[in-house]
Amino acid sequence: MSDLYFGADLFSEFERLQKQMTGLLGGFPSSIRSGRLGAFPQVNVGSTDESIEIIVFAPGINPAELDVTIDKGLLSISGERKSLRPDGQGDLRTYAQERFVGSFKRTIELPQNADPDKVQARYVDGCLSISVGKHESSKPRAITVQ
Amino acid sequence: MSDTTQIAERNQGAATQRPGDRAARQTSISPAVDIFEDSQRIVLWADLPGVRKDQLDVRVQDGYLYIEAEITVPTPASLRLQYSEIRGPYYARAFSLSSDFDASKIDANLQDGILKLTIPRRVEAQPRRIEIKVA
Repeated sequence: MSDLYFGADLFSEFERLQKQMTGLLGGFPSSIRSGRLGAFPQVNVGSTDESIEIIVFAPGINPAELDVTIDKGLLSISGERKSLRPDGQGDLRTYAQERFVGSFKRTIELPQNADPDKVQARYVDGCLSISVGKHESSKPRAITVQ
Repeated sequence: MSDTTQIAERNQGAATQRPGDRAARQTSISPAVDIFEDSQRIVLWADLPGVRKDQLDVRVQDGYLYIEAEITVPTPASLRLQYSEIRGPYYARAFSLSSDFDASKIDANLQDGILKLTIPRRVEAQPRRIEIKVA
């Protein structure tokens, strides 16, 4: 299968295999609404007892032009990123253009216990952090045994 | 794109690293870059979301340009990660620099998670127009 890689050391071979497996399984259980890996912007989702934390890795975007909405339990982040290629130069050579350019929209399905009235968002160092509160009733409680 | 010249290979997920630097290689992300060159300079833009200025390390060593950074996103201490596309926390990428470029005059600027590096060409490597005298 990989004659090209043969002769590389065992660890990098494992690494490659592991990457293939993560690609197949996704690592974490994901929602039916989540898109393919490699979409822009990339997101991480975590939760605490009080809130759901969403980190959106969207560098180089004016926060005023970011559109964050919650509708029926779906959190949407949309915006646009412009090309940084200087134009009007005839002798410009391009060696790499890997960075995402264009308009984007990502949707994240929030769990049932998310409270759309308690949302905070801030943009620092190219990362948008969104914190969505949970309903009081869904917070963990200790039950006393009598 | 016909004007794209292959100088930098991107290996999604794996880092372009010095040989032997195994720890960094297994956990780091290779950031996406744009590289443009005109007659005076080469300009590199790299996406480094979540990197503060003091967590970024750009250096030139033995003809290689290294970009290494660590992601610092403030999160609550009790956070349990449920889904992640950025496994971080390190970015690393390296490029070889030809001697046409003046490594001592690199200008680096980090804003909103984007690093801009401007590497000027040496004066003697810049194109010159040769005047032709008519006798």
